[in-house]
Amino acid sequence: MRKIKDYILNAITYIASGISVLILGVLLVYLLVNGVKSINLKMFSDDYWAKNYLVEVDSDSRNFDSKYNGDDYYIKKYDIAIKDDDKEIVVTYIGENSQFNELKSLTVGDSLGMITPFDVGYKIESIEYLDSNGVISIGGVLLKHNAIEVAQILNENHVNSIYYQSTSGGIKASIINTLILIFVSLLIATPISICSAIYLNEYNSKNKFNQLLSVSIETLAGVPSIIYGLVGITVLFPVTQLFGATTTSVLLGALTMAVILLPTMIKATQVALAQVDQGLKDASLSLGATKVQTINKVVLPGAMNGILSGLLLCVSKVIGESAALVYTMGTFISDTPSLTNQGTSLSLMIYSIMSNDNPNFELACAISLIILVIVLVLNISVKLINYKFNKLGQR
Amino acid sequence: MNKLFSVSDVNLSYGDKHVLKDINIDLYKNKVTAFIGPSGCGKSTFLRCFNRMNDLIDSCKIDGTILMENKDIYNKKYDVVDLRTNVGMVFQKPNPFMMSIYENVAYGLKCSGIKDKKVLKQRVINALKQAALYDEVSTRLNDSALSLSGGQQQRLCIARAIAMKPEVILMDEPTSALDPIATAKIEELIEELKKDFTIIIVTHSMHQASRISDYTAFFLNGEIVEYDITKNIFQNPKDIRCENYITGRFG
Amino acid sequence: MNNLKTTKLNKIIDKVVSNIYLLMTLISASFMLIIIIFILFKGLSPFMSNYQYGVVNFLDFLFGTQYRPDMGIYGVGFIIINTLVSALLALSIAFPISVLTALFVVKIAPQRLSEFMKVVIDLLASIPSIVYGVFAAGIITKFTMTIASMLGVQTYGGTSLLSVVILLAIMIFPTITSISISSISSVSEDLQHASLALGATKVQTNFKVVLLSAKQGIFAGAILGVGRAFGEATAVSMVAGNKMFGPTFGLFNTTRTLTSTMIAGLKETSGLDYDIRFSIGLVLLIIILITNFGLNFIKNKVGKTHEKN
Repeated sequence: MRKIKDYILNAITYIASGISVLILGVLLVYLLVNGVKSINLKMFSDDYWAKNYLVEVDSDSRNFDSKYNGDDYYIKKYDIAIKDDDKEIVVTYIGENSQFNELKSLTVGDSLGMITPFDVGYKIESIEYLDSNGVISIGGVLLKHNAIEVAQILNENHVNSIYYQSTSGGIKASIINTLILIFVSLLIATPISICSAIYLNEYNSKNKFNQLLSVSIETLAGVPSIIYGLVGITVLFPVTQLFGATTTSVLLGALTMAVILLPTMIKATQVALAQVDQGLKDASLSLGATKVQTINKVVLPGAMNGILSGLLLCVSKVIGESAALVYTMGTFISDTPSLTNQGTSLSLMIYSIMSNDNPNFELACAISLIILVIVLVLNISVKLINYKFNKLGQR
Repeated sequence: MNKLFSVSDVNLSYGDKHVLKDINIDLYKNKVTAFIGPSGCGKSTFLRCFNRMNDLIDSCKIDGTILMENKDIYNKKYDVVDLRTNVGMVFQKPNPFMMSIYENVAYGLKCSGIKDKKVLKQRVINALKQAALYDEVSTRLNDSALSLSGGQQQRLCIARAIAMKPEVILMDEPTSALDPIATAKIEELIEELKKDFTIIIVTHSMHQASRISDYTAFFLNGEIVEYDITKNIFQNPKDIRCENYITGRFG
Repeated sequence: MNNLKTTKLNKIIDKVVSNIYLLMTLISASFMLIIIIFILFKGLSPFMSNYQYGVVNFLDFLFGTQYRPDMGIYGVGFIIINTLVSALLALSIAFPISVLTALFVVKIAPQRLSEFMKVVIDLLASIPSIVYGVFAAGIITKFTMTIASMLGVQTYGGTSLLSVVILLAIMIFPTITSISISSISSVSEDLQHASLALGATKVQTNFKVVLLSAKQGIFAGAILGVGRAFGEATAVSMVAGNKMFGPTFGLFNTTRTLTSTMIAGLKETSGLDYDIRFSIGLVLLIIILITNFGLNFIKNKVGKTHEKN
């Protein structure tokens, strides 16, 4: 009887653990299935918003040594190839000498006459050409032409201009914004945290004042990050105005993030400092060094690995933060990363995508995967640092 | 005099360390047998063989036979859990559970399946009385066990073991963490207990061994050097090494 | 003579740098004060008589059962209840699974499996909440819809109390589990040996002695978990549905929490609608404070009954 009861209890613990493994598995599979398709190298260098270009085309024939071997519709005149992609016409090959590499913009304004970018993956929207009777006609997606028809037009007629769209859904700007965010917030948070940790650990005469300081910092850790967002937009916004910001900005996000990081970084540094052997400190002081010298020459170097782990942990936190940044950075996905303008980090980008009326799940999953990989690498690095340090300590 | 345990050619090692060498000894019912010897000579390890607590250590290997009333306790036929309900143990440091006094004593009983509240209460009270603790705690059985003094906690641990009505109680230096008065109380208790139980006690203190035990075994470097009735060991040791230990020439 | 000069210089540096350390600590600690003051200030302003966008009645706000920004009605009473309900339900699901998993990892699983589980838990802990949000919007909602259709109940595309609860349970699970693993690991071997020596089986020892001794630590983990459940914003907002009235007790009805309210519709908002979020933030802080105090009080009381001498 007891054996049965024991067996059941044991089985329950297996089941409980299995549930968590199952959930992790489902989550990863979901992200992979939905996101992998969208991941490609171009993503990292593209803009998010598609740009439209109107360009003029030189219709003189040029002779090309066609190096194209693919299956798509090849247009000899321009040495490009196009294909159908779900109601759109995508350019899949551009020859080295194709004039499509140097098309000039027809859009009135600053860019008139300037060469516009044209890359594989861009979509042809419409073309203006002269038909067999010399009449100006329009062809393209609007007229429900498919790739074969467009290819024919391009090959056989004199084309005046082409209206096309660049690829979208790129995360280049968000990545840059994330890096700026990490750099600035760590720049601010690290010195403040290390100094605070040093004070709390090495100068801790047990008076009420110090206890109050300690408790305050510990309580900060329990405040939900959205509150930091609220405080950031009220208290820190004027600070960003000094730098010329007029709205929510990456700078504001970085400042807010720095405050969020304080409790984490301080705690990590405190742990690292505490692990330094008291005997080493005593030795330094007994040789006539001052407290500050001891700290800078003996304690800090000894705590380096712990501080490094703390930094990596903070980077993880910055990448993963969303709520506070929604308030302080805004959710507008900008393609021009800048310190004093709105923009999104990778996490915010996901939030922005998901809060549209028609959320692009594939893109969101793709970015999630990228974030997960980065966070995983950071976590492993922290473990490696700790492992190496422990090994050194044992020698 | 009845034999309770019959130990033949027991060898035990932890990994590469050969801790017990060719142990042969018979232990008698309703007697107090003391294991004495310098630290690290294997007495506690040997004690833990009798309730197979050494099984908990992965690297431990044991050869030889230990018969309890002619049954080999290491035979796979016999359930180790059942063995432990029959061979109780008291540890060096008192380790009551974070429960009430009552619950501590009732613990083993409940685990073995006894549910009747009346039976439980009876056994708990009897055990506490036998352990000479009942008078001190009768009015506060539901108080936390941790509110007792060190000596009381150790008697509670003894009560807890006794409640299982084992044939044998193994005691691993039960008084080394206690003050002299508490120690004296427990030694008195052991005198009483041997009427109903067989007691095997590991002790650091020779004086304790000479006071309370009927038989004494002297261990040195994993071997039993001399085993005899206590009076002989202390007044007329046959082995020179035993004599040296007794007279304090080495500790 | 040189030595004296350098020693004097060193002493001055020492004093200056020590004060810098102190200054930095003051800055860090002051943020707590700043947070309290500003949330209080901005949070209470809509209730002050000179509020520029039209005073809001405090009692209506605190006990209201409707939150309709379009009609200018801001009542968070039902939202408070929703937040409590969802957090507590999530805890009741996550807690047993966490404790059992922790017990499994420390005491029951063989070495390799235990290491593997620790990696799994670590991974779950490091997934940012926004990614959980995507997962929730994609899979958890579908799960809820499947269950709902099996029961013949309608849902709004899966956004519902049930989805929120499942999401929160998954998110607080790693927190509670890792703290429980620490507590269970530090139960003394002595106690476990004592139990085994009394003829208890390993399983009995695990459930009766080990869990009991690790009680305080496990409870602390649960408190931390609840705190996280209260504060989770972006992920919850993606599956809550943001119902305008309530409170919601039906598992398949949409709901809203304090945090999801604070974050919803942030893109196009101004004036009272914007400021009221600070008031909601204030309410959130107070709720967290009260729950923390209450739970810690209970934890200490339970701990006191087994205090050592």
